[in-house]
Amino acid sequence: MTEFIIRRTLQSVLVLFLITLVTFGLIHAAPGGPFQMMLAPGLSPEAMEIQAHNMGLDKPLPMQYLHWLGNLLQGDLGYTFKNHVPIGDIIWPTVKNTFVLMSVAWLLTLLIAIPWGIYNSTKVYSLSDQSASFISYIGFAMPTFWFGIILQQIFSIKLDWFPLSDMYSMDKEGQIGDLMMHLILPVTVLTLSFLAGYVKYSRASMLEVLDQDYIRTARAKGVREGKVVYKHALRNALIPVITIIALDLPLLVAGAALTENVFNWPGMGRLFVQMAVAREYSVLMAITLLIAVIVIIGNLLADLLYAVVDPRVQLGRKGGRSA
Amino acid sequence: MSEANLQTSAVIPQVEVQSVKPLKRPPGPWRTAWSKFRRNPYAMSGLVILSIFVFGALFAPWLTKYDPAKIDLMFANLKAGTDGHLLGTDEMGRDIFARLLYSARISLTVGFSVAIGSVLIGTMVGAISGFFGGFIDTCFMRLVDVMNSIPLLFLNILVLAIFGTEFRYMIIVLILTSWMSVARLVRGTFLQLREMQYVEAARAIGVSNFGIIFRHLLRNSSFPIIVNATLMVGAAILSESALSYLGLGIQAPQTSWGLMLSNAQEFMLVDPLQAVYPGICILVVVLAVNFIGDGIQDSLNPRQKMSERRLDRWRKSFLKSKI
Amino acid sequence: MAEKLLEIENLTAGFLTQSGTVKATEKVSLSINKGQTVCLVGESGSGKSVTSLAIMRLIDYNSGAILEGSIKFQGDELAKRSQDDMIRVRGNKIAMIFQDPMSSLNPVYTIGDQIAESIMLHRKKSKKEARKIAVDMLRMVGIPAPEIRAKQYPHELSGGMCQRVVIAIALACDPDLLIADEPTTALDVTVQAQILDLLRGLQQELGMSILLITHDMGVAAEMADRIAVMYAGIIVEEGSARDVFARPSHPYTEGLLKSVPGLEGSRGEELYTIKGNIPGLSQLPEGCRFHPRCPHAKDICRQQAPPAFSVSEGHQASCWMYMDEGGAAAWKLESNPEVSR
Repeated sequence: MTEFIIRRTLQSVLVLFLITLVTFGLIHAAPGGPFQMMLAPGLSPEAMEIQAHNMGLDKPLPMQYLHWLGNLLQGDLGYTFKNHVPIGDIIWPTVKNTFVLMSVAWLLTLLIAIPWGIYNSTKVYSLSDQSASFISYIGFAMPTFWFGIILQQIFSIKLDWFPLSDMYSMDKEGQIGDLMMHLILPVTVLTLSFLAGYVKYSRASMLEVLDQDYIRTARAKGVREGKVVYKHALRNALIPVITIIALDLPLLVAGAALTENVFNWPGMGRLFVQMAVAREYSVLMAITLLIAVIVIIGNLLADLLYAVVDPRVQLGRKGGRSA
Repeated sequence: MSEANLQTSAVIPQVEVQSVKPLKRPPGPWRTAWSKFRRNPYAMSGLVILSIFVFGALFAPWLTKYDPAKIDLMFANLKAGTDGHLLGTDEMGRDIFARLLYSARISLTVGFSVAIGSVLIGTMVGAISGFFGGFIDTCFMRLVDVMNSIPLLFLNILVLAIFGTEFRYMIIVLILTSWMSVARLVRGTFLQLREMQYVEAARAIGVSNFGIIFRHLLRNSSFPIIVNATLMVGAAILSESALSYLGLGIQAPQTSWGLMLSNAQEFMLVDPLQAVYPGICILVVVLAVNFIGDGIQDSLNPRQKMSERRLDRWRKSFLKSKI
Repeated sequence: MAEKLLEIENLTAGFLTQSGTVKATEKVSLSINKGQTVCLVGESGSGKSVTSLAIMRLIDYNSGAILEGSIKFQGDELAKRSQDDMIRVRGNKIAMIFQDPMSSLNPVYTIGDQIAESIMLHRKKSKKEARKIAVDMLRMVGIPAPEIRAKQYPHELSGGMCQRVVIAIALACDPDLLIADEPTTALDVTVQAQILDLLRGLQQELGMSILLITHDMGVAAEMADRIAVMYAGIIVEEGSARDVFARPSHPYTEGLLKSVPGLEGSRGEELYTIKGNIPGLSQLPEGCRFHPRCPHAKDICRQQAPPAFSVSEGHQASCWMYMDEGGAAAWKLESNPEVSR
């Protein structure tokens, strides 16, 4: 187990290192150098040089990279170009806001999707099952941001039930009730767009398990059908579902980017788009890295979780059989 | 045996089946696939809908007399049907129907060129990696790891922010972030083929390995590659609309459904319907493409277990469209 | 006359598919006496497994159903029972073991728990007691170090061990009838013999009846008191094991016996095979279902399904061959041969 964790962690560190290389390389591949457009226009060549020197831009690229990496490892993300604000100060609050939005949407998705999928697996081709597959077809083809816009039009503008956008109303900063009202629409968008996939997935996983021989054995033992489903099948069916969910977790975080923009939610995704438009490369690099870290940790967690739920998986060595 | 016979053979009594002589030449895989595809109502309606959009995009100048980019504030926000403006005009007096038609050009161009481009790149990378193995393969696998650790939408935004939001850059970026699945598929087939007898035989008589394997590869995995490409068309259209919506894709005076939605959101108090049309276009086109992909898949390998295949597909398109 | 434990009459079971009902067995009649071993023999697809699933009423879960006929177990009708009533019979009075032991055990529970579950369900024991009985059961089926094994998961055991566990689960509640569906097919030859020995020993110890389903005439020869041969959903021959082996009376049984190496025919001779394949359920031939593959097929075989003719006392075969011998006792001359049996 420990060996496995160490191996996986080392692998992850390697991938992270490559990501720093790729992002750094990408940004320095920009036409005219990365910070060209950051410098105030109309500066004299001399002034430009001085500024570039101050920013360390006149050093060779590998040096710049090492310098940047060194600061990064010390937790120093650097400063924005425009107003020279510490990047960490900009990013951390948005991480918290994204976390609020995503965790609510994600929990809601799971709470609905898994029971629904399981129910559908026991009632294949029922109305409930068919509506789930209808939703999934639509869900895969529909742009999430469009769905958000439509919800805004109906529920904020026409009916005026929920606030149109933002996280809090003016001068209601920090009030839970107000936050809840603001959460409803974006959470609905996220939940509905993720729902179909998970319903389908848990249904299919359950169907596959219900087809297994050991389910027949359980029935032959005289186990009640309800208990067959919830005791014998569920745990087996959840194994792949849990792994997929853990693997998807970071993607869900990223998936919020569009929804955050639609609802003007002050999260990481919106910050990323704003910074992209403003060409604040250092912030983009920092967020990209942060998300990569989340993704990699998610993958690692998925593997560990798998080993916990499934006795067949013995981490670190191949599952041999005794006797 | 004609196609009609094939269809009904399941109910012909055994005796009769035995009396029918075996086929001299079975219909080719493409013909069988097509005859199956033709009988799939979803796939066929998808094909019809896609054809309508392709027709609209190709003949846009003949289908509307208006210039989609022509701003005329005198005629802003006209109701549908006034002055021959089929769907009215937007806040700048541009004809909405014309914009929708010309947007179809952009979306379909993006969709198809990204699909073709990533199939080409993916096939090449996969073939090289699968054929040479060893260090090259390891490098490629790590690259895929890195690519998969950054949510694709973020990667797209990052690159567009760096290189600028030009149409050609967007297509290149989308290709560079979509080739992985094809590459993995081709690599897998290559690894399989490399072990096969006839490759050994060919090596013995001194025929170039790569050529032989490549030819077999095209024969063996062209169908899955086509299915993959179909799905990519839909995913690319969704990505393009998302990027344009965020302001990092298509820029005025060009027009795209995503860009239209971004405008429409600003003016949704004035004209809520403006946000409806482009969204429906995206939804319908992507749905059509997905149906076609499904249809091709169903017509190609009927033996593969339904649940497994669907599962895989759902996952793929799920991840693609949400990130 | 021995006490009848299970009596199946005119059992027609099938599956509900999109294109209608497909009958997997038709008018199967079979009875099992107390303490007896009856073997149901046939190729895969002949409907023998469907028959066993129908007895357990597990067929309902495979989108199948009993379409006709009765299954009387200790005088109770099972065919029309509700599933709620059936769970008291399953695993308690009738137990079943399946072909592939490795996949028949739930991978996420320990084998001790899986045995104990059945005991808790039917014998109303506490969890602790049930676990103790489970260990005893493991010992009974010949698993060494049962206390340790009980805490292990199925993937830690070999195939033969798994089949012993499956048998332990089945016998945990001392059933009156054990249905064994190809219990040795997935195992190595040496392990096969061990499992068959174990089953025979346990049968003597516990006095249960066994319905053994197999495609292997060798297994049937070793285990059976009576043999019923199934082909394409119907029983074509039934009799005591001795009679069936000594005088196979249906051409299909004859073919089956000839195709077993070492049972009949001399060494060096090419192994006999029955030509053709078992027909699919949706494309059954007219008349006798075996006629397209039968070396003795006559005109009548192509037109009418044969009724069961009595070949000798307690030995019947459904073949038109026996009509020439004066239409023996079991067959009443009626215009509709279908109601004869």
